[in-house]
Amino acid sequence: NFCEFCLSNLSLSHLATSLPLPSERDHLRPRIDLIVFMIDIKSKYSLKNVETSLAYVDASFFLGKVCFLATGVGRLNSCSVETNVICKLGETYNSPVLFCELEVRLATAQRLLRILQICAGHIPGVSALSFVSLMRNSYDY
Amino acid sequence: MQRRRSSKTPKQPLHVFHKSQTDLSAWRKGGRINPEKSLQNNLSSNDQKYDSQESSLEQALSYLEKVQNPVALKKNTVLQKHLATVESTALQQGLPPEAFEILLSVVLSGKFVDTVNTRLLKSLIPTSVIPENSLVTAVSWLCASKCSSSIQLLFLRWLITVFDFIDHKEQLHALYGFFFSFLQDEKMCPYICHLLYLLTRKESGESHLCELETILFLILFGMQSYLQALLSLYKLFCPEQVTITLPGKMKTYFKNSEGPWKAAIAAVRQRNQGTSPLSQAVFLGTSQPQSRKRKWNAQLVIPASSTNTNNLEEDREKSSVESYSANESFPVEQLRTFPQLLQNIHCLEFPSQMGSVLTNPLLLHYMNCVKDESIYLRLYYWMGQMLQEECTWCVVDNPNEEEFKSFLNTVYKAECFLQEGLADCEEFLYRTLPLWDGVCCRSEVLRLVSWIPLSSVSDIKSYLYDPLAQLFYTSSIYFKCSVLETLKQLLQNWLNCNVIQMDSEFSSLNTTLSGLVNVVAELVHFVGRISTIALRLENNSTFLLYFILDFYETVCDMYLKYNLPLLILPPAGVFYPALLCMDSVNLNQLCYIMYRYRTNLVAAKENELSKKKILQFKFSNQTYQEYNQYITAMVGCLWTSSVFQKDIHPQGLRMDDELLSKTAVKELKTSFNIVYHPAMMGYSVHFLQQACPDDTTFNFRLIKGKKWDWYLEYLYAQGLEGLKVFIESSISRVSQAARSKAENMQM
Repeated sequence: NFCEFCLSNLSLSHLATSLPLPSERDHLRPRIDLIVFMIDIKSKYSLKNVETSLAYVDASFFLGKVCFLATGVGRLNSCSVETNVICKLGETYNSPVLFCELEVRLATAQRLLRILQICAGHIPGVSALSFVSLMRNSYDY
Repeated sequence: MQRRRSSKTPKQPLHVFHKSQTDLSAWRKGGRINPEKSLQNNLSSNDQKYDSQESSLEQALSYLEKVQNPVALKKNTVLQKHLATVESTALQQGLPPEAFEILLSVVLSGKFVDTVNTRLLKSLIPTSVIPENSLVTAVSWLCASKCSSSIQLLFLRWLITVFDFIDHKEQLHALYGFFFSFLQDEKMCPYICHLLYLLTRKESGESHLCELETILFLILFGMQSYLQALLSLYKLFCPEQVTITLPGKMKTYFKNSEGPWKAAIAAVRQRNQGTSPLSQAVFLGTSQPQSRKRKWNAQLVIPASSTNTNNLEEDREKSSVESYSANESFPVEQLRTFPQLLQNIHCLEFPSQMGSVLTNPLLLHYMNCVKDESIYLRLYYWMGQMLQEECTWCVVDNPNEEEFKSFLNTVYKAECFLQEGLADCEEFLYRTLPLWDGVCCRSEVLRLVSWIPLSSVSDIKSYLYDPLAQLFYTSSIYFKCSVLETLKQLLQNWLNCNVIQMDSEFSSLNTTLSGLVNVVAELVHFVGRISTIALRLENNSTFLLYFILDFYETVCDMYLKYNLPLLILPPAGVFYPALLCMDSVNLNQLCYIMYRYRTNLVAAKENELSKKKILQFKFSNQTYQEYNQYITAMVGCLWTSSVFQKDIHPQGLRMDDELLSKTAVKELKTSFNIVYHPAMMGYSVHFLQQACPDDTTFNFRLIKGKKWDWYLEYLYAQGLEGLKVFIESSISRVSQAARSKAENMQM
């Protein structure tokens, strides 16, 4: 159930179950605008997987091109990863955390798409770094 | 009394069973037969042929009741058959009221093995009501402890789940002491606490608290959350007797005890929707007919059985407005008019289903004036549970989004009526907003947000602003507009509460004026920040700007309208996009807002100078300075065409002459004012066509002198009221002829 999106451009998105990505197709890989780490809050394993994969992400991505998507909030009763653990993760890596339920995902997909538009530089005057810092601490400048 | 009752039980069920035989059959047809009709059919129904299932439920019940020796399930096919019948009937249609006494006696007398008892208990799903008598019997069996402890626990969980289906509760209240004694049982204690919490009334709290020993015992038991809950209720009823301090709010007091029944009950109710006159009769009582079926909605209606029903009959004979004596309580379901409320206000008792208060304006009035904490506690407890269990984005299996919406709406209406937010709703929002996708029940949730009570800045920051801002930045423009609208409502609600508080001059609320000023200032700054960012994200959308300016329409009048010593100007990121916007509606609105800022600031200055009041707060010079900067920019932009030279705001429009000359605009000094402003261009073109019909070159320079005045008159006639009040107040015209020398008014 765990996967990681590497979305690039508006239409292209790639899925990988963990990092690092295989190196043989490196030359064919397009620019990566946003990495979305998906964490299933019902599975401790998925959190662990994300934590190990994070080590392979280049530091420059943490300047606004990473976000965490915690899935499965529709069944909070059966969650095994505490939400504040995920929030902590977001804080540590300076990246926003979104919560969603995969069974009702249209709204979340649209939200991700908006983040992607900004990260890919499609909104004039708003950079990925400034936006992500807004998303993280919205109130104290 | 217990023993006596138990000894009676063997006869009673039989009697009930026979008497109700025809009712049973009427019920089983599940049809649209009303009770009168089924009575008429009394005789003939005996002759009617039952289909196989019908007769076998009766047979099953009588078999279960009569079988004497405990029998093993495996070997006994007859028992298996009857058991299956009971189970399938229960799941499909629910069980009729008459079945409960029989089945509860069977289960709690321990005559079968536990597997059978468990299966029977699990199928105790009511079609309509559960007669109180059957529970009295059950409790007496419980006291006799003939069944195993696991069955006892399961029975208690069942009782808590179906509590609202019990037709009367008077006799159950009489058994309060028996339940209380079960507190000593370690395993049963959590469930007994929950049950007592549901049952406790003022009298029961008093009489049982007197036994201080028990409380000591409770304390020794360790402060479990369920004991705390019960104690806190007692403490409310008789604070002088509970001296220990209880920790603050807890999220959940009780374990979920609904077990396998809740879903089954819901399914049965859904299936029987509208078809069972019986089930409706219970919930409607004497109140207005409504077609509310599901759990919480059913609980929004005051049931006839909610209070002492014995009063009902007597009351019919009395005149309806007659007052009740002090020791007798007025049945709330008969409360219809405001005079009735006034007359009986000393002897009202809230219904056992607190949810019904939400839809009843009279009870809301009453709740508002009695200042009884326990009522709020009961309501919050019930509401908290409903919100938690039914929240459609936290419980994805819950398919009833529409019903949840209507419930949220009911809560919102009650809040509007009370003119205050309910604490439990706040907690619910704080807990679930970070998990919300911003789409599910959007308008309902946002309306509830507008009633979040004023509390500490840090709480609101981390629980409301943070999750809201995240959603705001990543959601559609429509969501952004709704959030702005909501925050305007929130601001107005806070300001209104403040006005009331100041008028009545009692500061019972623990907010000081400076506290209030801080919280409001934080909200205004928050909106300023998110608006600035939103305008950039949405490319200065006109639609969005409209909502932002709407918010500032409230902000600019806080001093005069709400008597709050606070004025905050919009940030440059809002002001300049509004000043340079492309449509006249927003420009007009900006002019109006700046005019109101001026009026407020002038009033504040006057108050300060005359020193009529000892001023605890005064506006800083920075506010005046900022206002003057904005006014300079506006006058330069709308009147003197000098904005590029004169604007001194650091984020303003000032440009070097060299840069300006590069634009190659001729006659720079007269080319950016009310005539050339992009938002006004439409008007000036139209005006030129009417004023100089011969001129086809659109020579805007023709609008000067007398024509300038005409142009102004024309603009005012077009409904640009904001522009009018702004020009008339902020631009002093030395003389009509020397109009171009207008200056901004210095404050």
